[in-house]
Amino acid sequence: MQFSSLAGNVALQNILATMEVERKKIASTQKKGYYFIGGGILLGIIGSVLGFPMPSIIAGLAPVIYGGIVLFKINDELQAYKHTYKRDVISEALRFLDSSLTIAPQNGIVAHEFIHSQLFTTEPDRYKTEDLVSGRAEKTAFYFAEVHAEYKTVTQTKNGRKTEWHDIFKGIIFVADFNKNFNGSTIVRPKDFGSAIGAWFSTNLFSFSDKDVIKLENVDFDKTFITYGTDQVESRYLLTPAMMERILRLNHNSKYSISLSFIQSRIYIGFPLDRNYFEAPIFKSLLNPDLLNEDISTIKFMYDIVKELDLNTRIWSKN
Amino acid sequence: MIIAIILVILIIIGIFFYNSLIGKKNQVTNAFSAIDVMLKKRFDLIPNLVEVVKQYTNYESETLSKIVELRTRASAGNISDAEKAQIDSQLSTSVKGLMVNVENYPDLKANTNFINLQSTWAESEEQIAAARRSYNAAVTDYNNSIMMFPGSLFAGMLNFHPVPVLETAVEERKNISAKDLFNN
Repeated sequence: MQFSSLAGNVALQNILATMEVERKKIASTQKKGYYFIGGGILLGIIGSVLGFPMPSIIAGLAPVIYGGIVLFKINDELQAYKHTYKRDVISEALRFLDSSLTIAPQNGIVAHEFIHSQLFTTEPDRYKTEDLVSGRAEKTAFYFAEVHAEYKTVTQTKNGRKTEWHDIFKGIIFVADFNKNFNGSTIVRPKDFGSAIGAWFSTNLFSFSDKDVIKLENVDFDKTFITYGTDQVESRYLLTPAMMERILRLNHNSKYSISLSFIQSRIYIGFPLDRNYFEAPIFKSLLNPDLLNEDISTIKFMYDIVKELDLNTRIWSKN
Repeated sequence: MIIAIILVILIIIGIFFYNSLIGKKNQVTNAFSAIDVMLKKRFDLIPNLVEVVKQYTNYESETLSKIVELRTRASAGNISDAEKAQIDSQLSTSVKGLMVNVENYPDLKANTNFINLQSTWAESEEQIAAARRSYNAAVTDYNNSIMMFPGSLFAGMLNFHPVPVLETAVEERKNISAKDLFNN
């Protein structure tokens, strides 16, 4: 579905028109704030170059402070504007796609569930999540949210301790009810050099983990992913030849390599992304017909996973 | 000194390789018993299936008696693994045929027991397929390690031989044609 079909939605168009006024106000105020800050800094630099550092810095400080106040004062309005965008615009777009879809901007996938999914080996030290979208595609319930998980490293340098933050994952975590019953866990991670060596080591010499490496007969799948599982037969019961093909197709359609896990009757999929989704534009018009295209195609992509992975086929004992 | 260290390292690596080889051999046996367990589970479904179908149909008695006979043969206990696999594939074909014929009996199709049995059967089909794939993966892994260096050195000494993988039965490989099944 493209924006063209949403363009006919009068309610949405009215909301956008009202919000556009607010956006213009915020944008011009923000611009004003930035100009003052920029001007103040420029004044200080030029004055220093010309040989009057002290007076020019003092003269420059005033516009910088004023600019800061302007930005600070508009911040509440900005937050309200962003919130309205999610509550009214995104949720309307979601309803248009499927009436069961809802968004809870403040909620997400909690850190505990992120760790429980075993998609990533490192436990996060800092964790942020928002924009929980939940819904149902026929028989299959699913939800997804934006997640940013990081870990920190502390190194001792000449100037004291230095803390650095590194991404574990930034993107969308998708969770759906899986169509088969199973007891153990199966993890599918993208294959890289380190994990390939680890896998060789654990199959040929010694394994430290409670999970075995599952060698699958689909050559492409085995080249793209490394699969770990608590039960060789169960992992293959989940990853049937057809399922492997579907996962490969899903991976092919996403920009970055995906990770999957099958745990306690659920399937978890991590899609790394480099942009923040469902965010209201500030310096771009809300009336731009392409406004929602990217967000909608993301939602549609998530919604279609259920179909793509054939999770509605419930011919097994789980209904 | 250096030679001694190298020797110790080589011996340790040797022990690991030897152990992993034994592990893989056991894995093959283990994977086969997994198939066996799944087969037994499936054979156990037969009596219920036959009971339910009997109540609704008078025309499938031939298929039913064939299924019952196969199940009795499978439970006899003194049959080889190969025979068991053979019986299973015949059984599988017969039941598939039965499931297709069920289309002719709307009452049976709507019976809750039957629907449950049908899904359990479908589940067992996939579980057996998964167990067979696991077995083949274990066999390939084992064969590779006894045929490749340095595993081949141990394999020669221990008299380990490659194990054949399970072939998919010809009947299973064929696409099922509803017409053929009705003609049976």
